[in-house]
Amino acid sequence: MHAISFSSWMRLSLFRLVLSFLLVVSFAATAFGRQTETLDTGKVTASLVSSLDRVAPGETVWIALRTELDEGWHTYWRNPGDSGEPVQLTWALPAGVEAGPIAWPLPYPTPTGPIVNYGFEGAPLFPVEMTVPNSAQDGDRLSFVLDFYYLVCADICIPEEGQLSLDLEVGEPIEDVIWGPQIQAAVLSSPRPGSVRGAAELANETLSLTFTNLPDGTISGAYFFPFDQGVLGHSTPQSFRLGKTGIGLMSAPEFLWANGIAETVQGVLTYTLDGETRGEVVTVATNAALDIGAPSISGPSMGLWAAAFGALLGGLILNLMPCVFPIISLKALSLAKTAHGERAAARRGAWAYTGGVLVTFALLAAGLIAFKAAGAQIGWGFQLQSPKVVGILALLLFVIGLNLLGLFEFGSRLQGAGQGLTARGGLSGSFFTGVLAVVVATPCTAPFMAGAVGYALAQPALTTLIVFLALGLGFALPFLLLGYIPGLLAKLPKPGPWMETFRQVLAFPMFAAAIWLVWVLILQTGANGTGLLLIAMLLAGFAIWVFRRGSGFAKGLALIVALGAAALPLTLSTGAADVKAAVLDSEVWSPERVAELRAQGRPVFVDFTAAWCVTCKVNEQLVLKTDRTQALFERTNTAFLIADWTNRDAKIAAELERYGRAGVPLYLAFPASHDDVMGLVLPQTLSFSVLEETLGQ
Amino acid sequence: MKTLFTATAAVALLATAAPASAKIANGTTVSDMIVTDSNGKQHKLSDFKGNRVVLEWTNDGCPYVQKHYDTNNMQNLQKEATLGSDTVWLSVISSAPGKQGYVSGEGANALTTSRDAAPSAVVLDPSGDMGQAFAAKTTPHMYIIDEAGTLVYQGAIDDNSSARKSTVPGAKNYVRAALADLDAGQPVAIADTAPYGCSVKYSS
Repeated sequence: MHAISFSSWMRLSLFRLVLSFLLVVSFAATAFGRQTETLDTGKVTASLVSSLDRVAPGETVWIALRTELDEGWHTYWRNPGDSGEPVQLTWALPAGVEAGPIAWPLPYPTPTGPIVNYGFEGAPLFPVEMTVPNSAQDGDRLSFVLDFYYLVCADICIPEEGQLSLDLEVGEPIEDVIWGPQIQAAVLSSPRPGSVRGAAELANETLSLTFTNLPDGTISGAYFFPFDQGVLGHSTPQSFRLGKTGIGLMSAPEFLWANGIAETVQGVLTYTLDGETRGEVVTVATNAALDIGAPSISGPSMGLWAAAFGALLGGLILNLMPCVFPIISLKALSLAKTAHGERAAARRGAWAYTGGVLVTFALLAAGLIAFKAAGAQIGWGFQLQSPKVVGILALLLFVIGLNLLGLFEFGSRLQGAGQGLTARGGLSGSFFTGVLAVVVATPCTAPFMAGAVGYALAQPALTTLIVFLALGLGFALPFLLLGYIPGLLAKLPKPGPWMETFRQVLAFPMFAAAIWLVWVLILQTGANGTGLLLIAMLLAGFAIWVFRRGSGFAKGLALIVALGAAALPLTLSTGAADVKAAVLDSEVWSPERVAELRAQGRPVFVDFTAAWCVTCKVNEQLVLKTDRTQALFERTNTAFLIADWTNRDAKIAAELERYGRAGVPLYLAFPASHDDVMGLVLPQTLSFSVLEETLGQ
Repeated sequence: MKTLFTATAAVALLATAAPASAKIANGTTVSDMIVTDSNGKQHKLSDFKGNRVVLEWTNDGCPYVQKHYDTNNMQNLQKEATLGSDTVWLSVISSAPGKQGYVSGEGANALTTSRDAAPSAVVLDPSGDMGQAFAAKTTPHMYIIDEAGTLVYQGAIDDNSSARKSTVPGAKNYVRAALADLDAGQPVAIADTAPYGCSVKYSS
């Protein structure tokens, strides 16, 4: 083995131990790395280091400018970003020696106020490959002289420069035991062209970058650094999205696009693969897009069975959520009535209830699939984004409340008086209860459910359906179990006169739920829509009264009035909803605002919420609106951003999707020390201790 | 000179609403924004309609600004542009208090005198509102607004992004070229370039 090139470096490393020994014995002076001169240029200490202490003719050696930057100061990459100037090397080389380009380290975006630069901190190495001519003779001394220049900046900028030189002897190659491995590591991590393909397309003033052929693994963030200025806005945050077969980045175009951009632009794509940041030089085709596949779940992906199991569990827990409580109590009541009768009847009732639940979930899934196919950005609870649905639901709850109070009975003509709607013994009653329970449950989301629904919505239709049916099954499970586990039924309280009282008491949670929906409507439609709904309630009440009192003609009239009452909410549409509850000292969320606040070094907390999301409201009351949370935000100077999804919003839906979610709540934290583009996802059942632990970092 | 200074419609909006990252496009029309100069005088940009306006973001501590002032390049350009013409030259200082380049009105005037500079006025923008409205990134960062009040040039002063003074003579001066295009009644050929220099020292 006569010579050492970069490619044979790995082989050489086997001999490193032996070499080190030989070096100690025979070349003591150079054994522990050449002592090179260092030059303090002010904010930086510079030195010139070599991968070899002796180089063979015709072979290559890497010579690197090593810079040690003072804490808090940075130098610049080949494209310095919004301001600054790249590190520049000018060589005076021995005759016949050829220098390659700088093997640049991975750049990092360094924000200062609203300005973003691309550069380095710490002790970056700038290696350059030198090829020694074949004509070099053993014993020759090669002298490399480097004039270097860099702009070093913290708050202020200082141009610094200097000259360094390094002599190398020609002969049997000797690796430098200190700098050899370090330069090797720097060269290996320097971005090179690889398999990744890139494309950039301009649409609606948004620059959309797509990349495919990335290595296997979990990619959790990426950033594209163009070699040239004018490709993209350096200070525009690059929003990241993960597809099945690639990744996408959104940014803003710069002046090259207006001037007629070249067919390809080059740059470095850095990405975090399984938690490790790497970079690759990518040639990006302009005015083109690559198919990166349907959006997949960011973060750990989930199989169908895991999703179905999560959905089952989530459905089960959904029973405990506040919006379902009145309906569930009614069902329990009706079960208690039949329970002490025939077991078979209880089972039939449970199955009818399950049927109602499953059919409704299947319809919901079908609706979601249809909306998704039409390109709408929707998610769990989407139906409550429609004021029409909210209005109908409020009306329905009001009417059920009246029913529970005993003002009237449903279906009295068919079955005779004395049986309430949900307490009705018939199978249709059980079925209807199932339908109602699901409809009222949708504003609630339970643990385990969010991930499963998010997964389901990103999948083909059949998978979506399976996951939703699993959710329904979980939701209905407690009643199925009641029918099948011996002894459980007997444990329910015995029916008696107390049940009438209990039934009337349950009217009030119904009215409470109706009030809540009216409040949602205020936010969605403003005062006019709310007025309309209250009139609909009045008409419904009047129709019921007329129906009870009247003859055949009056009954007909009552039906017409009732239809009118039901039709009124259908005229509701989203209007000026400028009544916003003041929560904390908050701002409206946007990805740009998050990036801006983070650039200022402030921790950021984002609350993805909606007026119709009960879980969100519970978290607000129990955690977010409390004094100690407010104090925590003040102490840590955390910015509180609210993304309000009460009405449909494509931007918010897209952000939820990035985190694999199809609905709210979603809580994101970006502590000051956090340097990933993706925020930390906090649990949906928020607690103060979690907030303190995360933001106190 | 009684001057009122206004910024673009987009600019006025940006100043209150959006972060500085949003660049304003050439061709944007200038509307109302009131700024204060080193003598305490208030200016409104819309009143400059009929005059050509050159904006120069500056910071006397920045090596890139020093490159152009120590070589008299900036002063010569200011005199060329304003002498015997209606062109208004505004040097803008957006450094926040405590940051490099922040000066009082007196300090700004002293700098003008000591450097023999010839701006029509030096605008003090310690809040960074005007800088952020124009998305000024660097010192120097140059803008030209034509007689109709539209933005026709934004970017670097020249094509050599080094801080070395020796690079000034060989560089192609974009601002001089753009002003010559306007004098000739032609559209500005190179209208949008990458600014270079130190970052504007906004409050963080």
